[in-house]
Amino acid sequence: MAKNSILNKIYNTGPLILLYYLCISEVDTNLENVFEIFTLNFQIIIIYFWVLKKPEVMANGHIFLAGLINDVVMGFPLGISSLSYLIIIFVGTYVRNKSVNTTIASDWFTFLMAMVLSSILFFSLLNNFSDLSFPLTKIGYNMFFTLFMFPIFWLLFNLYQITFVGPRDV
Amino acid sequence: MSVSRDDFSIAFRSALLQRGGAQKFSVLSLILLALIIFFLDVYGVKFTKPVRGFINDVVYRVTFLASAPTRFFPEIGKDFSNFLNVKGENERLKAEIEKYKLLELNVEFLKDENKNLQKILETEYFNQNLSNIILAKVLVDKNSPFLKSIIINKGTSTGILKGMPVTKDNYLVGRIVETNYLSSRVLLLNDLNSRIPVTLNQGAQAILSGGGTSKPVLEYLPEDFEITEGINIFASGKDGIFTPGTPIGKTNNEGEVELFIDPNQLSFVTVNLNIQEKGNF
Repeated sequence: MAKNSILNKIYNTGPLILLYYLCISEVDTNLENVFEIFTLNFQIIIIYFWVLKKPEVMANGHIFLAGLINDVVMGFPLGISSLSYLIIIFVGTYVRNKSVNTTIASDWFTFLMAMVLSSILFFSLLNNFSDLSFPLTKIGYNMFFTLFMFPIFWLLFNLYQITFVGPRDV
Repeated sequence: MSVSRDDFSIAFRSALLQRGGAQKFSVLSLILLALIIFFLDVYGVKFTKPVRGFINDVVYRVTFLASAPTRFFPEIGKDFSNFLNVKGENERLKAEIEKYKLLELNVEFLKDENKNLQKILETEYFNQNLSNIILAKVLVDKNSPFLKSIIINKGTSTGILKGMPVTKDNYLVGRIVETNYLSSRVLLLNDLNSRIPVTLNQGAQAILSGGGTSKPVLEYLPEDFEITEGINIFASGKDGIFTPGTPIGKTNNEGEVELFIDPNQLSFVTVNLNIQEKGNF
């Protein structure tokens, strides 16, 4: 029984560990060397899925901290990734409060809303308050591929949730 | 209608303020905290710089450790394939040594000739103190879709300052844009925000502009200038940052610049501490 409980704890912290690891390590989800325009914001997919499906595994404070770490590693002004992640949490929690059961299509659509809001905030703050500037095409490619890959990761995370974490709490 | 509006406001408020269970902080409080941190960092209040520097140093070292497995496994594969090719490589290297022995004489002659010519021109870089060049290890090389930069393991403690040029094997790779006590961030030549004055081997001046891709492009070329394949690009040094004549890359048939050093394959770089002493930053 105790062994099971430890295993459950490990499974439950899996997504959070993945988020932290992606933020702090050199591992990236961009295949620019293979396909130059392919860039992906994997962190927001992880956050959105788990906030929507099982918010207990993604505490707000941890996501905030992961954002700060991401800013340091990437060289962005501190707090900007945290803000963008918090917008994702906000939309995810709102959708969760308003809906009883969701499908992959509805999650995909609401993810688009969350991503657009978070990206607008992220890039407008960066362009207006820092020396960094980014062309719209790069941002567009990043958003397009993130949106495009969402259903694939949705299925993978869903499988992980069903197998290891358990169903959504009502 | 009013019920629907109530639903909306309840869900909205709940999403912003909800706490309890695993959520110890509400989204709204964290958003406010993130905004405060952001503006403190951007507007550089006196105490934020050393704090940011300390956080950077700690996080960069943790990143270096956390990335060890990702560096370790590709290295094993590379070592194994090198081991299998060792005999063939030995023969190839022997042939290359012979070739370079012949070239060495030529180089000696050219070196003397170059020294004499520099004496005639009295260039300010002739007596440059090469002992002020330090070797640094690349700690973090995270491939961001928007920023192309690396973190090196030397900072202000070794005399590194913002703006110093960074090279590898005497080829230019970028410049220092952020300094901490024990680490620094190098902005690579292919970064979107990188612009450096260059000279072409035909004497024309231009600006090398990073596009976020692996190959930067040339801008502000003279009118009617036609870019052909194989033109060598050097730093012009007009900005007072880069040493004039530092080789950078070669143009390809699409008019882009293929850098001599692959920005994704950096493990050690050198930082020239001389330049900062001359420039005003």
